[in-house]
Amino acid sequence: MKTKMDFPSINERKPEGVKEDGSPYRVLVVDDSMFVTKQISQILTSEGFEVVDTASDGLQGLEKYKELYPNIDVVTMDITMPKMDGVSALEKIIEFDKEAKVIMISALGKQDLVKKALLIGAKNYIVKPLDRVKVLERIIQSIK
Amino acid sequence: MRVEYINPFVEAAFNVLKEVLTSDVKRGELYLKSTTQPVMGVAALVGLAGNVEGRVLFDMSIETALAIASDMNGEKLEQMDDLAKATITELANMITAQAVTKLHELGFTFDLTPPAIFTGENMEVTDSEVEALIVPMELSYGKVEINVAVRERV
Repeated sequence: MKTKMDFPSINERKPEGVKEDGSPYRVLVVDDSMFVTKQISQILTSEGFEVVDTASDGLQGLEKYKELYPNIDVVTMDITMPKMDGVSALEKIIEFDKEAKVIMISALGKQDLVKKALLIGAKNYIVKPLDRVKVLERIIQSIK
Repeated sequence: MRVEYINPFVEAAFNVLKEVLTSDVKRGELYLKSTTQPVMGVAALVGLAGNVEGRVLFDMSIETALAIASDMNGEKLEQMDDLAKATITELANMITAQAVTKLHELGFTFDLTPPAIFTGENMEVTDSEVEALIVPMELSYGKVEINVAVRERV
């Protein structure tokens, strides 16, 4: 990155969202709330991840995953969404790519759906309200 | 209306507002209204249907809604645009989800509607055959009233 050459970094820590080869982890954010999508994108971008695309329902999320594949590293998936809910979309994504790394985003009180998602193959989950530390920790755990 | 329906909403509102906002949050005094009530300018309404039924309204002025949405987004929002509405919707979602978890533990079972956002001036809400309990939450941005009208299904 040009800025890094211009201004030597005083902070030696490498951003967590960057792979060994220096390229960013690529994320697809699936959520029907514009607010949550923006919040997740801001948190991830600030740590070096690249949000390659967003989808506002499960069906669109599934389609975008297929389009992006294999150039996609991780998906954040809301549970309650119109057209196709997050658990069904997860199921279809895992059918398509059993190595898919999907992290569920859940409101409180959806433990049964979260459990179901983990059994299907979700790598982790995050309960809203989202905070930066929690989001990064859970996503980084599931990609490393 | 039984007070035990409103407490989970008040606790949840307090917890969530404290967590997502940089403002102080203070709980005001609960009051009861049985007639038509004015609505302040932005109202998020969530319906409940099951062995208890009714609705919960999160009511605030447009200025308060914009200040809350700006705080939650970390940037100044000037208008009640799609992002501001999505933010208030998400706030209502988070509060309701936490309250409902508690109510389910207490043995009340019901489904929720997704929040609907009303914006405008000179609005009123009337509930037939159920009175509303209201708890104001005082923020540095103004107040948010948690207005709950719920009854047991007859």
